Amino acid sequence: MAISKEKLDKMLEVYPSKVKKSRKSHIMIKDGCETQTIEANTRTVPGIITNRGCAFAGCKGVVLGPLKDMIHIVHGPVGCAFYTWGTRRNKAKTEDPAKNFLNYCVTTDMQESDIVFGGEKKLMNVIDDVMEEFNPAAITLTATCPIGLIGDDMGAVAKSAEEKYGVSVLHFNCEGYKGVSQSAGHHIANNVLVDKIIGQGEKEQADSKYAINLLGEYNIGGDGWEIERILNDIGYEVVSVMTGDGSYEDLKNAHVAELNLVQCHRSINYIAEMLETKYGIPWLKVNFIGIDATIETLRNMAMYFGEQDLIDQTEKIIAKELSEIEGKLEQYKKITQNKTSFCFVGGSRGHHYQGLFAELGIETVLAGYEFAHRDDYEGREVIPDIKIDADSKNIPDLKVEPDPDRFRLRIPEKLYEELKAKIPLSEYKGMNADMADGTVIVDDLNHYETEEFIKIFKPDIFASGIKDKYVVQKMGIPAKQLHSYDYSGPYAGFKGALNFAADVSMSFATPTWNFIAPPWKGEPLLDGKIEKGAE
Amino acid sequence: MNAKNVNINPCHMCMPMGGVLAFKGIEKSVVVIHGSQGCSTYIRRHIAEHFNEPVDVGSTSLNEKGTVYGGEDNLKKGLENIIRVYNPKMIGVLTTCLAETIGEDIKRMTETFIKDTGLSHVQIIPVHTAGYSGSHSEGFFSSVRRILENTVIPSEPNGKIGLIIPNISPADIRELKRMMKLFSLPYVVLPDFSDSLDGVYQKQYLKLSPHGTKIKDIQTMSGLKAIIEFSATLQDDLSPGEYMKKEYGVPLYRIPLPVGLRFSDQLISVLREISGKKAPKMLLEERGRLLDAMIDAHKHNAQGKTLLYLEPEQLYATISLLEENGVGIVLAATGSEYSTIAKKEIRQKDRLFTGADFDLIFKEAEGQDIDFAIGNSDGRVLTEKRGIPLLRRGFPIHDRMGGGRILSVGYAGSIQLLDSITNMILDKKLTSYRQQMTEKLLEPLKNGAESRGESYGDKI
Repeated sequence: MAISKEKLDKMLEVYPSKVKKSRKSHIMIKDGCETQTIEANTRTVPGIITNRGCAFAGCKGVVLGPLKDMIHIVHGPVGCAFYTWGTRRNKAKTEDPAKNFLNYCVTTDMQESDIVFGGEKKLMNVIDDVMEEFNPAAITLTATCPIGLIGDDMGAVAKSAEEKYGVSVLHFNCEGYKGVSQSAGHHIANNVLVDKIIGQGEKEQADSKYAINLLGEYNIGGDGWEIERILNDIGYEVVSVMTGDGSYEDLKNAHVAELNLVQCHRSINYIAEMLETKYGIPWLKVNFIGIDATIETLRNMAMYFGEQDLIDQTEKIIAKELSEIEGKLEQYKKITQNKTSFCFVGGSRGHHYQGLFAELGIETVLAGYEFAHRDDYEGREVIPDIKIDADSKNIPDLKVEPDPDRFRLRIPEKLYEELKAKIPLSEYKGMNADMADGTVIVDDLNHYETEEFIKIFKPDIFASGIKDKYVVQKMGIPAKQLHSYDYSGPYAGFKGALNFAADVSMSFATPTWNFIAPPWKGEPLLDGKIEKGAE
Repeated sequence: MNAKNVNINPCHMCMPMGGVLAFKGIEKSVVVIHGSQGCSTYIRRHIAEHFNEPVDVGSTSLNEKGTVYGGEDNLKKGLENIIRVYNPKMIGVLTTCLAETIGEDIKRMTETFIKDTGLSHVQIIPVHTAGYSGSHSEGFFSSVRRILENTVIPSEPNGKIGLIIPNISPADIRELKRMMKLFSLPYVVLPDFSDSLDGVYQKQYLKLSPHGTKIKDIQTMSGLKAIIEFSATLQDDLSPGEYMKKEYGVPLYRIPLPVGLRFSDQLISVLREISGKKAPKMLLEERGRLLDAMIDAHKHNAQGKTLLYLEPEQLYATISLLEENGVGIVLAATGSEYSTIAKKEIRQKDRLFTGADFDLIFKEAEGQDIDFAIGNSDGRVLTEKRGIPLLRRGFPIHDRMGGGRILSVGYAGSIQLLDSITNMILDKKLTSYRQQMTEKLLEPLKNGAESRGESYGDKI
């Protein structure tokens, strides 16, 4: 099934003309013969039921939330804290279980009087309570909508708390109304992590020569742990993970790594760029979702370090991992092949999972991101062309300089350029390049369009979030929730691919779909026949 | 009241959450939340996960510009778009912390919108639900009250009985309706999300649920014979029923949720009084069955100790059921600070906590012998950290299926709740019985034999 421009036009006719024009610029039918652009990271149309969240969600919910050894104080009324409490399934373990604070939801729970008279005093009192009860090494303060408006100076409170307790207290002005989606919050969080945590550690060099940071991996369902297992087997030292199962203590020394791996480009590329400028650590776009993507990533990493023993060990581990899943994927493929999918997730998974779907014989016919920017679709080369609008200008851009003591070129410039031609160093080509002609790419897909596109394409599976999952299932189509994996995972790496195949197969093969039509379907409604002469 | 400043692991959510739940019970209605889009996204996500149903809520997606210059333009566009795409009969416009802090006058804005557009087929209900003005429980009732204030018109007596409910499960709503049918009494339930949040599978997905309280039925609630409102712990100025009594003189019965024998009896008494009818035989049989179950279960329950945290109405009613059957209450808590539950007759008033969080619950439960807890999924840490098993009740239940299908009201629902409670106690008892008996009886025998220089093993 495909869609023509005319059909798309008709579908959007329900909108008022201005909205139609706007939404049209966020939707493209892939045509490899044309240079196509897509609108992204612009304001959401009010009243169109979007899946997007807010800056607070991106900052506290996504980036900071997984940092396990910090207490995250949400400064505001209760809702925002409650709604980001343990909802992302980001797993974490600490050596001392008492220093794992992920199960806690801490808030100033502001009341009307706090809004009227200001909440700084309450915030300070809450920090006192937190120090007494948890004594954490570091604290984050995140702002919800009213904070900026009532003029609470979180920075001043953070400063006096730092003086009082001698611990790090970081504040994030991530009020929900900033920017156009959670993407603004990622950026705000990234800035503070680089400015206030990374580099605060004493370490001057890593423990081993293959030292990496894993960026943009949030350990949903244990993905990060599965990736780390493979990396450790090859001989890499994972200095820090940002931020799944991440810790303040590890982050402080992230500056010693030799290479940064970027899994989720959207949420964390700012840190990757800043660390390259400040410390000279190059970054490599990686993808651990899908078998081929994982293999390619591991080989690219080995090529970056360039040492034969690492290259050999990489091949050895790839062969070992493959042998352990050999043949097992085939049984699932019998069920999954020749099917089609929609793949609409947040800011990177919409792209990453297409390869894994393809390995299962599932063709992605529609894909998109909730809160991505144009570079996530069209590749980083469009970054200079992206217009900075008023909404993006509000997010401070942290300018970093090379660190006078710690900046060190990790590899010679000439080698860097040579490598750049072969592997995605400081490079991301975006989703569009990998999509076939005739497929549809949609930015900020909404509730109405979801339903309409499903009617047109009739996909066999829909990969999306919790909110839209039930709409899809009500339409009789299996939904695979890819934000927090529906109580499953890990899906990363080789074994993760197998888990994913099992979960997807189970959705296709559940006997339940056979019972939709009752056994009496097609039988006459009334038993018996009309007697002659009864009329 | 909770003396400290910090809230650690809250027991309550914010007002707009309750507002969305209330509007879900009105036919062909949709909510537009006036604020950052995070509010609507979070609320959709949490409701969807509890009910396993689609929950569609619009947002005016206020950004920095709207925050500085006011959000009227966004609200107008939001309303226009949602009307174009969804064609709702009713739109609830709920405010947020953001909208309230910048002082958005949504009443004037929505009136202007209606005047300018001349729309007559859609009703817009503005509700002030600042996240800092109360919990989701208060948001629920104030939204119901605003729906009435904006919808009801004077009408002829219609002989129907109105049931105004708190945030109970779709299964509970269905049970209340069944009781009314057994009584052969015509009724209007407000709000009624028994279908919209626990829908049947259908091939044709409808964007807006056609189920819920009919707007026509809400308009004519001024003609009701009486209103029964399950709001024993609600402050008067939030009570939808008090408004109807004051404005239209509709007789009002404010009673607790019919959980347990006494509170179910109270509902039956009120129905008898209003209708002049005797209680139907089937309900009397169910009462007898509940009583029988209570007698059978009392010996187990009298040995049980529990802690519970629920929304105020559920809390009050569940305490009553526990007291009736002799279950010990180590502590009872609610996250709401505004309910009047503390003024109610409760045996162990000193163990009742309002404005509670889980930090307080943990501290108050410290060193206490507790068999099980009753409350929403967020109490799972009680199991993880203290080994206290959790009987999942209330909202939200996001780590188990069927939150919307849990039945606790009426005689029939009370039996189910009672059995679940007894079985929690039995489960603990039966899994630890052997070990306890060994420690209590067998070990002393063995020790005694050994101290006498005998080999205990030889004797048995």
